Amino acid sequence: MKVRLVVRRWKEGWRAPRYDVFEVEADPSESVLDLVERVSLKLDPTLTFEHACHHGVCGACGMVVNGVERLTCVTRVGDVARNGVILVEPLHGFKVVSDLVVDKSRMFSRYPDDTRTLERVAARVEKLWDCVECGICYSACPVACSYPSYLGPSVLAWAFHRAVEEGMVPAPVASGSGVWSCHAAFDCSEKCPVNFQPGEKIMRLRRLLLRGAVEVV
Amino acid sequence: MGLGEALRSWLRVRGRSAEHVSFAVRRLAGVVLALYLVVHMVDISTLLMGEHVYSAFLQVFASPIGLVFDVVLWVFLVLHGALGLYSALVEAGLLLERRKVLLAAAWAAALLLLVVGVVVILYVMG
Repeated sequence: MKVRLVVRRWKEGWRAPRYDVFEVEADPSESVLDLVERVSLKLDPTLTFEHACHHGVCGACGMVVNGVERLTCVTRVGDVARNGVILVEPLHGFKVVSDLVVDKSRMFSRYPDDTRTLERVAARVEKLWDCVECGICYSACPVACSYPSYLGPSVLAWAFHRAVEEGMVPAPVASGSGVWSCHAAFDCSEKCPVNFQPGEKIMRLRRLLLRGAVEVV
Repeated sequence: MGLGEALRSWLRVRGRSAEHVSFAVRRLAGVVLALYLVVHMVDISTLLMGEHVYSAFLQVFASPIGLVFDVVLWVFLVLHGALGLYSALVEAGLLLERRKVLLAAAWAAALLLLVVGVVVILYVMG
């Protein structure tokens, strides 16, 4: 099938983003990431994007495809092309580094004490349980996209697991930039590629806090 | 992050779930109701200028334009209330597994109240 791949481009120094159109031949069963990769290899080597595993595990290739956050490596072209058009944009809620690459550090370093960053704590427990740290939940969340101090869905869902297992949560989690900022839009859960259910976990953590069942440390 | 970016993220509906669209409607209705509160304060403040001023102001709301204003206000009030009730329940961690049913019930209740309210405003008050 013929596909018109429209890519939102922006690089440091540009005054405004632009949209580039690439006409490509595609198999409906191949992934959107394959398409982006082919464009980068054959048509425009300056097109930048992130990828690694190509099978939905690493979480690197999260993008907004035709308005919906998706892991592009497990998104088939035939499932998302509308009238042969696929619009690919970087995730919302993060600073764009270049084209489709975003800086996800807000997801990894939200705790004030940097000895307890998500990455360091996650290293000694199962890696964020089932979360692949793709950042799609941030992009889908209207609060995370409008309130930079918000800890964000995946971090709070991780905190829920910690609360259940250890009976305590870090103070920022129980603060105004933590669970109390969530407004139940639930698109984090709807768009999560691994059904981690961050929205539900945030609400369950709220319930634990309201009942005094977890200690705030 | 500017106001425009915040509004775009709140009111984004393309590719969003029913929960997100409901969030957007609830938030928009909330902003409109907050603005109405200001108008209402101005409205009742006209009492300070005398009964005749207040009565003249009331005549505006009794006109056909006033009825349209009432209908619009009722729509936002009902949507904010019904979706707010849904939100209050799930945000307290209740009925999370059945939140889609709860949301559908909230929309159904809102639509019913909208119809009843509009009929009352147009045919009884009007």
